[in-house]
Amino acid sequence: MNVTRRDFTKGALALGTGLTLGFPAVLRRAYAADPIKIGVPAVLSGGAAQYGLQAKRACEMFAKDIQAKGGVLGRPVEFIFEDTTGDPATAVRKAQKLVEKDGVKFLTGIVLSSEALAVSAKCPEWKVLFMSSFTGVGAFTAAKFNRYSFRPNTSGPMGARTVSLYMAESPMKRFYGVGSDYAWGRDSIGSFDRQMTAVKKEVVGKDFPPIGTKDFGSYIAKVKQSKAEACFTVLLGQDASIFFKQAEQFGLNKEVKLVTEIVELANLKAAGDAMLGVIGGSRYPFTLDTPKNRDWVKRFYDMHNVWPDMFDGETYQATEWLAQAITAAGSDDVEKVIAALEDSTYEAPEGKRTMRKCDHQAVKASWMVEAVKDPKYPHLIPKILATYPGDRVTPKCLTEEFA
Amino acid sequence: MSPAIAVEQLLNTAALSALLFLVSVGLSLVFGILRVVNFAHGMFYMLGAYIGFSIVSRSGSFWLALALAPPLVGLIGAALESTTLRFIYRRPPIYQVLLTFGLSLILEEAVRIVWGATAQAVDPPAWLAGSVTLGATVYPTYRLFLITVGAVVGGGLWLFLKTTRAGLVIRAVAQNGEMAGCLGTDVRRVRTAVFGLACALAGLGGVVAAPMLTAYLGMGIGVIVEAFVVVVIGGLGSIGGSIVGSLIVGAAQTWGGFFISEVAMAIMYAVMAAVLIFRPWGLFGDEE
Repeated sequence: MNVTRRDFTKGALALGTGLTLGFPAVLRRAYAADPIKIGVPAVLSGGAAQYGLQAKRACEMFAKDIQAKGGVLGRPVEFIFEDTTGDPATAVRKAQKLVEKDGVKFLTGIVLSSEALAVSAKCPEWKVLFMSSFTGVGAFTAAKFNRYSFRPNTSGPMGARTVSLYMAESPMKRFYGVGSDYAWGRDSIGSFDRQMTAVKKEVVGKDFPPIGTKDFGSYIAKVKQSKAEACFTVLLGQDASIFFKQAEQFGLNKEVKLVTEIVELANLKAAGDAMLGVIGGSRYPFTLDTPKNRDWVKRFYDMHNVWPDMFDGETYQATEWLAQAITAAGSDDVEKVIAALEDSTYEAPEGKRTMRKCDHQAVKASWMVEAVKDPKYPHLIPKILATYPGDRVTPKCLTEEFA
Repeated sequence: MSPAIAVEQLLNTAALSALLFLVSVGLSLVFGILRVVNFAHGMFYMLGAYIGFSIVSRSGSFWLALALAPPLVGLIGAALESTTLRFIYRRPPIYQVLLTFGLSLILEEAVRIVWGATAQAVDPPAWLAGSVTLGATVYPTYRLFLITVGAVVGGGLWLFLKTTRAGLVIRAVAQNGEMAGCLGTDVRRVRTAVFGLACALAGLGGVVAAPMLTAYLGMGIGVIVEAFVVVVIGGLGSIGGSIVGSLIVGAAQTWGGFFISEVAMAIMYAVMAAVLIFRPWGLFGDEE
């Protein structure tokens, strides 16, 4: 009886551990030819898992697309996924495993800014190129810049800049800021505050609820009390959808205009009609009306049976740009690829982007959108209100400040 | 602070406390009767939310979810107890902790496989979805419903334990399981039933939480930490303790969030630390 009990406990533990640790192996695909391996240490579990899911969808689609075109330098592209659980130390460990055990020379799809900074700091030592697609924190291309890291995507300060440019032109003058209590939330609210002050408007109050806040009742009460005209939120993943649901229940959306840095489909789906009329920035709205984008969106829908979200687009574009640079370098040698990426241009769905050599930040456009209903879609969609060209929303080189 | 906002915050405290109570009372009951610290308890809360989501999205009826999901979660809980925990009650507590921790990992993965990794919104019935005007403040009707559910379950549970024969048996097992067994009570069945009941309560908490918080992965882990704080403050095994503990934690989070939001979470732990220092068995627990 004793043996049975002990065996059972061991079995249960082994099963639990197996389920947690074993699954990346399932995602691996074996290619016959010597593939170009790209490591994707993404958040695949927990509160930010909706982002890792997007990284995975985009990489899978890119692998399929590039395979159909004969690969990169005649070699297939293989993505290897790892779950970082949203913890910077785990992200470094998983990235190190990808580099040392799987032999990847390129990383992408890291979700949280905290994870990205931790991994990026190791890249010079590993001689590995990190092509970000999510990383928002301004320091990534400023104080914490290193030449092994590139940001082809929109950063947090760029998102805050987009919203600030829009708000500067609006008649509203008093704002309240609510941001997740970590690098991205604090950066963006701070940047918004400075830019509003610069145009003689005021951020009357700021709050930084911890990641994973479930009840925003107290924060909503404070926003109401402040008599602000608009509330600017920079909340991570599910926190945002919960906030918007509760804002509607407390009637906050009737008292103040709700503005957010990123209007994401994941949140539009989760919060439903509570987000109707919310305006905010978008790093990539799938409703972008260009031939290249229409075609891509359709193919994405055919493959995944959902409409692409912001980071589906950003991650796909990052991998495509990286593959373009590997092709241009004629080799997967990291130093050569870095040289090929610097000052390169990429034909994005919205038009040309360039990769600045000075801080490895892409000069790219950004959008202001509104969550609207459209009978063609099962959820609210982002309708583009304004497009800001790259030279207006990209910070000065190696800084988080704007001209 | 205007009176309207003060009223709003008082109601927020009550609503959050109601939710905490539904989860922590089960944790407390299981410890009182089974002497097991159930790390998987939060997962039944999450399971309730997700099963509720599935029922609402298929049938369109929140009330059907409210009626079906808690007993379903209770059955799953009872089945897990009778196939796993039952065999290791006599072992040192570390075995039970490891087992329930393992179960929580398995349940979390199971939820991910079945429902996916994104948060799922649950619609409350139309008449609960809006807001009501209370004097100068607008308040979500749904939170008033939560307060009602918490109060009804608290009162019902107390009556059940104090006035019914089944309640008497449960209290007897809690006080002295061996003696109750000698007097002809099937202790094993009582334990399974109590475990199932506790899981059903957590499931109920999940169903009613989902329209307010959405159903999401990680909600089980989040709530279990708070529920532990509640039972440490209130005292393990005491219903009254769960009520008071829930109110204290609810108030600490709500008012802390309003006045000093930067350290709101710390207040809860500070209260817990104070209780552990001055009254380690909790405000309502028995000194052992």
